Amino acid sequence: MSSSVDIVIHNELSEIALVRDALDQLGSELEVPAQAIVQLQVALDEIVSNVIKYSWVDGGKHDILVRITVEDDGVALDIFDDGEPFDPRGVPEPLPSLAGMRPEPGGVGIHMVRKLVDDFAYRRIDARNHTTLTKKCATGALTRRID
Amino acid sequence: MNSALNIGQSHDGGVCIVTLSGRIDSTNANDLMSQLTKLILAGEKSIVVDLGAVLYLTSAAFRALLVATDEAERNAAKFVLCSLGGHVRELFEMGGLLEVFTVHPSRAEAVARLG
Repeated sequence: MSSSVDIVIHNELSEIALVRDALDQLGSELEVPAQAIVQLQVALDEIVSNVIKYSWVDGGKHDILVRITVEDDGVALDIFDDGEPFDPRGVPEPLPSLAGMRPEPGGVGIHMVRKLVDDFAYRRIDARNHTTLTKKCATGALTRRID
Repeated sequence: MNSALNIGQSHDGGVCIVTLSGRIDSTNANDLMSQLTKLILAGEKSIVVDLGAVLYLTSAAFRALLVATDEAERNAAKFVLCSLGGHVRELFEMGGLLEVFTVHPSRAEAVARLG
């Protein structure tokens, strides 16, 4: 059994807050461990901010769909956008930082996503990017189903 | 919409203490960057950023802190972080950024080193 919520946001960084807050709410309603919610919120921010910065070059307004699905054994975030094809998993690992040297933070975010979630998947379907982040954890989705 | 991040500011002797609480992410990292830059350009020479009440931070926050670190260096100011708790310390480690900043375990220690 699962509970799923769809949230459509525009390609503006401030709108990531809508999904972040929805994760808080769903997490508390469905008894998702707080640590899993934090890890998903960080991973969400990394992926969606990348989409906003790089998916569209026309400067126009576009929609991003984020689907939050809470299952008994974990939480999945599906992120859809119709921008340029881009597999975030292809971003190279940042170089190890040497003492006294500042790394360019590019790549740091995606590197963190790899560590924060249990599964990090990407597909290009019907001219849309579809990234899925899955975190395994016991939740209360079975007993506390919401519609 | 609340920004989810609160930025407080106080002084302990000549040390400027910036207390952050909440979440630092793409929605508010620029606010943090401009606040820190403003302090440095206003002539603060010793700045401690206390992360003790931060729930989490993302790479956007690291970028803001890196920019502030560079700006401080250009202005001959000391810029350090303190009180990295559970999730926050883990995220610094994941980002490989723990060694990049000067980090003190507590605010008292940071102030003592800078004061």
